[in-house]
Amino acid sequence: MEAIFDFFSNPYYIQILTITGVYLIAALGLNLITGITGQFSFGHAAFMSIGAYTSSLLTLYLHTPFFLNLLLGGIIAALFGVLLGFPSLRLTGDYLGITTLGFGEIVRVVFINTKITGGAFGLAGIPRETNIILVYLIVVLTIISLYLIKNSRFGRGLVAIREDEIAAEAMGINTLFYKVEAFAVGSFFAGISGALYAHLIQYISPGDFGFSRSFEILNFVVIGGLGSIPGTVVGTAILALAPEFLRFVQEYRMLIYGALMVLMMTFRPRGLLGGVDLFQVWRNFRHKGLREKI
Amino acid sequence: MKRKWYLFLLVALMSAALVVSGCGSNEKTTAGDTIKIGFLGGKTGNHAHYGIETLKGMQMAVEDINNAGGLLGKKVEIVEGDHGSNSSEAASVTQKLITQKVAAVIGDPTTGITKLAAPICQSNKVVLMSAGAVGTGVVELGDYIFRDCLLDAVAAPVVTKYLAEDLKWKKVALVTTTGLPYSESLTSIFKPALDKYGIEIVTEQNIMEKDNNFSAQVTALAQKQFDGVIFTGYYNEGALFMKEMRKQGLQQVMAGGDGLLGKELYEIGEEAVEGSMVYTGFAVDTNNAVEKTKDFIEKYQAKNNNAQPDMFSAQGYDAVMLIADAIKAAESADPTVYREKLVQTKDWKGVTGTISFDANREPIKSPVYLLEVKDKQFAVKTVIPVTD
Amino acid sequence: MEYLWNLGQLIAQQTVNGITLGATYALIALGYTMVYGIIQLINFAHGEVYMIGAFVGLIMITTYEVNFFVALLVAALVCAPLAMLIERVAYRPLRGSMRLAPLISALGVSIFLQTLMTLIQGPNPQGFPKVITDTVYLLGPIKFSLVQVIILVIAALLMVILNLIVKYTRTGKAMRATSQDYDTARLMGINVNRTISFTFALGAALAGAGGVLVGMYYGSVHPFMGVTVGLKCFCAAVLGGIGSIPGAMLGGIFLGVAEVLGVAIGLGTYRDAIAFALLILVLLFRPTGLLGRPIQRKV
Repeated sequence: MEAIFDFFSNPYYIQILTITGVYLIAALGLNLITGITGQFSFGHAAFMSIGAYTSSLLTLYLHTPFFLNLLLGGIIAALFGVLLGFPSLRLTGDYLGITTLGFGEIVRVVFINTKITGGAFGLAGIPRETNIILVYLIVVLTIISLYLIKNSRFGRGLVAIREDEIAAEAMGINTLFYKVEAFAVGSFFAGISGALYAHLIQYISPGDFGFSRSFEILNFVVIGGLGSIPGTVVGTAILALAPEFLRFVQEYRMLIYGALMVLMMTFRPRGLLGGVDLFQVWRNFRHKGLREKI
Repeated sequence: MKRKWYLFLLVALMSAALVVSGCGSNEKTTAGDTIKIGFLGGKTGNHAHYGIETLKGMQMAVEDINNAGGLLGKKVEIVEGDHGSNSSEAASVTQKLITQKVAAVIGDPTTGITKLAAPICQSNKVVLMSAGAVGTGVVELGDYIFRDCLLDAVAAPVVTKYLAEDLKWKKVALVTTTGLPYSESLTSIFKPALDKYGIEIVTEQNIMEKDNNFSAQVTALAQKQFDGVIFTGYYNEGALFMKEMRKQGLQQVMAGGDGLLGKELYEIGEEAVEGSMVYTGFAVDTNNAVEKTKDFIEKYQAKNNNAQPDMFSAQGYDAVMLIADAIKAAESADPTVYREKLVQTKDWKGVTGTISFDANREPIKSPVYLLEVKDKQFAVKTVIPVTD
Repeated sequence: MEYLWNLGQLIAQQTVNGITLGATYALIALGYTMVYGIIQLINFAHGEVYMIGAFVGLIMITTYEVNFFVALLVAALVCAPLAMLIERVAYRPLRGSMRLAPLISALGVSIFLQTLMTLIQGPNPQGFPKVITDTVYLLGPIKFSLVQVIILVIAALLMVILNLIVKYTRTGKAMRATSQDYDTARLMGINVNRTISFTFALGAALAGAGGVLVGMYYGSVHPFMGVTVGLKCFCAAVLGGIGSIPGAMLGGIFLGVAEVLGVAIGLGTYRDAIAFALLILVLLFRPTGLLGRPIQRKV
């Protein structure tokens, strides 16, 4: 009991749990685009940066309330998501992936060259508004809304697009509208995540949101299991905390991290929880228990 | 079979969490016996070079302190926080160092990471001493934020004075790398200084970073009369620019900041950069060095296969010593107490020279080393004391 | 009039510089395109192979003091088995699983190799010794340095050799067959595993040589040099139409020239974005790149 109290009174653990939660929100957003709808997006960090810069600039220059800025960060990111959703009409698979990657790099370079965002030096002195309770509240809200989306008519349409786009279209699904909407919602969550990030770390620069961050988030989703919401949670938890756990190996840390990625993929190519329905597992478990009683 | 996997995973995660929380509680019990100093920097990742050198200097300082009997009767210990050159990790690492009750966080020479760590240190009232963040807007982030490096705002004017009075430069060409914040801000420091010491800027040329063809700019230079070039960019472009000048028959030399400092300058520039001048806050100058500096250089070389210490290791050494002396003066390792002494630091003598903090906590460092490229080596041309 | 002449001269000179840069891009892009063509995999570890090639070249020249061309050859010979090993460990077990799995595995390999090289060689950039003298040739008003000439000649030579291998050898034929139809090729008795290994080796040899050439051109190498270049070269491959060998060459040169000219007209700070902006534009109008085959959508 005391150990648990110690844990939650240690600001370092709070910090890494909070940052993990922030990444989790972005990863859940990406899971909607890539996992559920099957559209490759290699530029997710760009939406984070849009959310982060939007909310920080609003806070620093217009002094509008934090919750409004948070929401606007998400909305502006969603608008760019719509913009990026349109090419997905013409481009598929890896070509879409590389386009989104390019978009991410262009956003980064634009931020480097913009005066108001502080250029390459970034923005400092952003007030700290994010705390662990707020982050996990939003995580829960995100998970609930993703479940609602996944199990709605809209969500089934998205899965249909992932499985067979042409068949889905033949069934009367407006694939363009559905895909653009998936991009918008996914980017919205990334924007929220970015805004939370900015108000947690209190300093942002374009380099924080390069393609390596995009791939980091993609890692969370793929290693957790594409399309699986619990999978994303588990994947993010493991991979975001791994560098901290691996701290004892010092400079060999990233060596092991890289090897771990390869191993995880080769042993579970569909991701840790890919293709596993947790409800089914739970039901089996209960049935087994009942049978043993009888 | 499948379920076992998750079970295993869960157990692994739990035990990992336990191990980590175990570590946390262990550290608490030892807190009273030593004075801990946190190192924040990248030992891995793309800024690792700066981090590793800073840490080397810090370790040497701690060794010296402990050999001389420690600090306030306690041993000094470095707690390493490697952020892997990754900004979000840097925030966690800073937080971790503070949790481990460090007396000060010393480190990251990069301006970005320093700015990121600053609010965390400030809100926890822990002194952050950056050993190299030269960018603008660093110490403004809070009154617990310090740095011990040579600032361009200090160095550029004294170098300009030297160019005007000793080398009799009257007219210069000023070359800026546009879009490079370092270069643009250095240019804005040089301009008023040149004006003050009566040097006329006959032409201003702009180049781009990573560009490798400067024929147009040099052609423009060739039509003017001038004594030298003030170059505010990095060594790569500097070397290629000088090469182009020699190609077009111009024989003037250039002078610039430590952005030009790197062996690539003469490796790329070869004969064209001979005579070019670069200023820096630390140089291995065994002929003129004071005892302290000589000692540092020898110890460093003994430990590192005769390699020469650079600016980062020297600044790391000085950062630890500055903090240690403030702790000694305040007789307390509590940042809220010794900070008062640290602010008052005046004419403090370290291995990189003399440091004083001005009213805004900005370091005024003396001397400035002016290096010159000679036979494909940097040689100390002159050492200029900073007077005001 | 003189202004126009100067402008023309500037553009011509920059185009030459751009083609040199583009030729090195093309060498690396070929590796991406061949691997993609045969197993539809974006081999993100390819940039790291290129980085290792550059380091091998550097070590050969500084430690063993060999001739530049020998170093080039050794780098290619070291990189080829390395890539085969990567394929065997990280990609082959994932063949047939979902598309993103080998991609993540490739990223893992890439992080692993970067860290490994940092541990072995240290993180700071290392100067590449000047092995070629700075002779400048004049062709009319346009200057060619000896380094540029060597890069262009070697790149062209390597590409010709590659074309000969792919067109006229049995293995080359097997490569083309496998890339057209993996299953049918197997039924025809082609050892697809060996063919795929060979493709990786061939691409890696080119990248290794490319690494040494770039190291020499820019004068420095470091463990993270493969990241941006790898990404840009992948762009070049997609730009030309991924899977197409002439496409990768065209894409590389096109990108190199566009970048250098972009810098010349004052977009220097946007340099890294030029490649991607160009790519997106081309893809929007030709979704499979300049020379790519249209994707067959089966119903």
